Amino acid sequence: MSLVELSDVVKRYGTHTVLNGVSLNVEKGEIIAIIGRSGSGKSTLLRCVNGLEPIQGGTVTFDGTVVNDPATDLRKLRQHVGIVFQSFNLFPHLSVEKNITLAPKVVKHVPTAEARQLAEAVLRKVGLAEKIDAYPDQLSGGQQQRVAIARSLAMQPVVMLFDEITSALDPELVGEVLKVLEEMARDGMTMMLVTHEIGFARKVANRVVFMHEGRIWEQGPAAATLAQPRTPELETFLSAVLH
Amino acid sequence: MIRELSFIDVLYLIAATRWTLALTAIAFVGGGLVGLTIALLRVSAVAPLRWLGTVYVLVVQGTPLLAWLFVFFFGLSIFGFTVSPWIAAAASYSIYAGAFLGEIWRGCLQAIPRTQWEAGASLGLGLAQQLRYIIVPQALRLAIPPTVGFLVQLIKNTSLAAVIGFIELTREGQLTTATTFRPFTVYLIVAAIYFALCFPLTQVARRLERRLHVAR
Repeated sequence: MSLVELSDVVKRYGTHTVLNGVSLNVEKGEIIAIIGRSGSGKSTLLRCVNGLEPIQGGTVTFDGTVVNDPATDLRKLRQHVGIVFQSFNLFPHLSVEKNITLAPKVVKHVPTAEARQLAEAVLRKVGLAEKIDAYPDQLSGGQQQRVAIARSLAMQPVVMLFDEITSALDPELVGEVLKVLEEMARDGMTMMLVTHEIGFARKVANRVVFMHEGRIWEQGPAAATLAQPRTPELETFLSAVLH
Repeated sequence: MIRELSFIDVLYLIAATRWTLALTAIAFVGGGLVGLTIALLRVSAVAPLRWLGTVYVLVVQGTPLLAWLFVFFFGLSIFGFTVSPWIAAAASYSIYAGAFLGEIWRGCLQAIPRTQWEAGASLGLGLAQQLRYIIVPQALRLAIPPTVGFLVQLIKNTSLAAVIGFIELTREGQLTTATTFRPFTVYLIVAAIYFALCFPLTQVARRLERRLHVAR
């Protein structure tokens, strides 16, 4: 059994079908890059994994738990599935420390002192130990995104979802965020990332999934798939992205 | 019998102000409870609850406060219920203030981006926890200026309670005018007392807003 299993997932907004029968298995420790044009359903696919998007057909399971079963306690599930968003979504009224320790304290009842140590530890991982008392609006975009990653890591997730996390960043800030991802990859974290950074996908991902018109159009080992696309759609997409 | 306006009349006016303040306090507490309920109904994920909140606001905002006072005080007595002016005022003002505070607070809750709820949910926080730790603290800061603005309105609107027998500031002013026949001076004093109540409030609100902003 795979860690994450999507089978025949259908997602509609009214009459518009965003995901049209998507099946995908993710093994523990695997790193999957999901690429595709905007509107191809790749972000939606990611958001189905932690139940942020209700689905209209098929099943999503995480570690044997059916995510789309109404009886599933999504709060419990989400403690194991971290997600980082394109727009950071830090809590602007809370310091970096409080941003990170809120969920461990409220959800897992970690004592305050221990939570502070936890915050220090995850901040060291993303190279921002000195920013523990700063507020989000005092940080650059790249730093905010790294705090968002640290906040997710503090819940000690089993799998991490990344939804175009470098798309809102200035070009010179992309590198520092990708570096953090590379380190997580080395630590063996299971990751699903929606990205436009093809070079990064080639370097870090085990597998590339190309979404087109709400389906998985093509997938395979990262390097081979990106070097020799089998479908004209992926070829067109790659040449557009890489100019 | 007409007599001179004297200092004792001013003291009477100031004494009557306590009813103005008491009515305001009741209206604000009652209206706050109703308003919180309405605001939560209006942002609820359950459609019928949202409708309930919407209908309440439409009905109350579309009817005069005076009518509610009449309904509770005179209207219910026709059916044999004796309603004390306090109960009638508390009910009417809570209903009235609840609708307006509910709308103000709903607006503040909805001004917080959807993604903030999502970020909380993604970390495993339940709905109540998202509200308590993420949404409400941010909404509170937005809510202070309009809430105090409404409170100032409320202070002035308590004069309507005179129709069901409360001798609050404005009513006391009327009575004083009737015996002294000095309407200009008397109402000027009445206005000054209202101003003395309202002005500090707006100042406090401004300071609070600034401080909360700095401390986030």
